[in-house]
Amino acid sequence: MRLLNLLNANIRKHFIEMKRYLPNTMAFIITFYIIFLAMFAGIKLIGDPSSQDANIQYVIVNYIFWYLAMVVVNDIGWQISNEASQGTFEQLSMSPMGIWRIMTARLISSTIVNFLIIVALLYISMATTGQWLNIDVITLLPILVLTLISMFGLGLIIAGMTVVFKQIQAFLQILQFILAALVFVQSNVLPFLVFFPIVKGVELVRNVMIDGVSLSQIAVGDFLILGFNAIFYFIVGLGIFIYCERFAMRKGLLAHY
Amino acid sequence: MEAIIKVEGVKKAYKKRKSKEVIQAINDVSFDVKRGEILGLLGPNGAGKTTTIKMICGLLTPDEGSITINGNDMKTQRLKALKHISAVLEGNRNLYWRLTVKENLEYFAGNRGVSRKDAAFLIQDLLHKFNLKHKENELVNRLSRGMQQKLAIAIAMSAETDVILLDEPTLGLDVETSYEVRSILQSIVKEYNRTIIISSHDMDVIQDICERTVIINNGNIVINDSVKNLLKLFEVRSYSITLGGFLSNHQLSLISHKFPHHTYKKETFQSILEIDLAKSEEIYQIIDILKMDETPVEAIDRRNVNFEQIFMKIIKGEKSNAFAQSS
Ligand SMILES: Nc1ncnc2c1ncn2[C@@H]1O[C@H](COP(=O)(O)OP(=O)(O)OP(=O)(O)O)[C@@H](O)[C@H]1O
Ligand SMILES: [Mg+2]
Repeated sequence: MRLLNLLNANIRKHFIEMKRYLPNTMAFIITFYIIFLAMFAGIKLIGDPSSQDANIQYVIVNYIFWYLAMVVVNDIGWQISNEASQGTFEQLSMSPMGIWRIMTARLISSTIVNFLIIVALLYISMATTGQWLNIDVITLLPILVLTLISMFGLGLIIAGMTVVFKQIQAFLQILQFILAALVFVQSNVLPFLVFFPIVKGVELVRNVMIDGVSLSQIAVGDFLILGFNAIFYFIVGLGIFIYCERFAMRKGLLAHY
Repeated sequence: MEAIIKVEGVKKAYKKRKSKEVIQAINDVSFDVKRGEILGLLGPNGAGKTTTIKMICGLLTPDEGSITINGNDMKTQRLKALKHISAVLEGNRNLYWRLTVKENLEYFAGNRGVSRKDAAFLIQDLLHKFNLKHKENELVNRLSRGMQQKLAIAIAMSAETDVILLDEPTLGLDVETSYEVRSILQSIVKEYNRTIIISSHDMDVIQDICERTVIINNGNIVINDSVKNLLKLFEVRSYSITLGGFLSNHQLSLISHKFPHHTYKKETFQSILEIDLAKSEEIYQIIDILKMDETPVEAIDRRNVNFEQIFMKIIKGEKSNAFAQSS
């Protein structure tokens, strides 16, 4: 119950801030949409016309996933970086719930609050291109949940690093592109890439949305990899975050001023 | 009464990032705080007040020693210990500036696992008590510094913890707001049975609110005594002697030699000698000096000292032997 209250409070805060700073939120979404239009135009202008439809579909899925990764993984870094310099991070660190639970609640609430935007972006980009993808919720849901858990792990790693290193902003800029690479890469290039976060998840989502694969057609092995990644990255993320928190407490780094 | 906070043999050093220079912020500090007690933590800039407070809040791990809150060790049972603690830290850095007054209260309650519904009654109560009700829907960044500070204290109160720590709660406030914050603190002390640690430069705050004070300087405790005792101690030994004439140069040089920290003021027909004694027997030496020239003594009064003066004396180490005796 206390965990639910914690989650609730963080969803509410996120939602309030998003609504209150609507122009910022809109600017972020519009920027993202413009990036998409650029990719779309690129395919139209210089892409091979015979594979144009497939390429566009590929780009839609990837770019929606990129947005998701950004709002989950990157945003937590910005949040902590801001709160450490504003001083509220110390208040959070004093909660008897434990700061990692608050951070996990933040990650989940980012996902929930941004979900509407993601759905909207998806439909807008499908409408723009005229490419209607297969939205099979039953199949997508378990894939998404497992992929998100590994993203949360990644988010916790970023959160921990932000707590320790003061000048993380430059890294966060680069991280946007690392996330893009993870989303856009295909594992048939290098098979071990499936054990990287996000890669396998987005691949399966592509299979569902572009090729119309349904739940029963997905191999158990694929789900095992996804499940393994989810557990592995979340636990590693948690471990790194807690280690970074302890380190920061020893060195007096919880507030950056 | 049992001690709710125990600080035992705590040391803390910081390493400067660039120069690798090591600063021993806290040397070897031990003290207890009893349940329901109001403790003032005093010391000049850089003494280690904030460092001490952050270690008690579990935001900073001591290099050595231990901190126990209500029987929970801050190292091994940190989250349990934190259940008993809330704090307003230095500066106006405790709030979300993009949220309103009420949203801040609700969010912090949520972060401790309390639902909005369960917190609602307490929040309304605090908004009224702190005279913030008319601002409940105002964004924090539109509030005055004083209101922000009041809100930060209200948030700490809303956690309903046994212990509240306040680091410089009146710093940077104008006289009026500082007074208001002080009276709020006083009413907290009266109405709620909380254990409070206040660090401050503002001696009025300490003298008005605190029962006991721990004074630190350069990371060491120099005094740990009740405010009453300190005041009494200094009152007893601070004298103002009114003379019906003037001291000779010879007398003055003797006094200067024995009591370097005296003041001497000449008026038209009288003069006044103000003097602090390290031991009460030293009054005889003064009498002896006065007797030499048969200077008429019109009155010997105890001087009223305020806490500010005491503090300055302690920090300058003037009366260190007096304290050695009193403790
Ligand atoms: N994060 C830090 N890194 C390095 N040195 C620090 C850090 N925090 C404090 N110090 C140093 O430790 C010493 C004690 O600082 P502290 O902030 O505890 O003093 P204070 O009594 O609160 O002072 P003030 O009255 O100015 O608030 C000072 O010399 C300070 O420069
Ligand atoms: Mg300080």
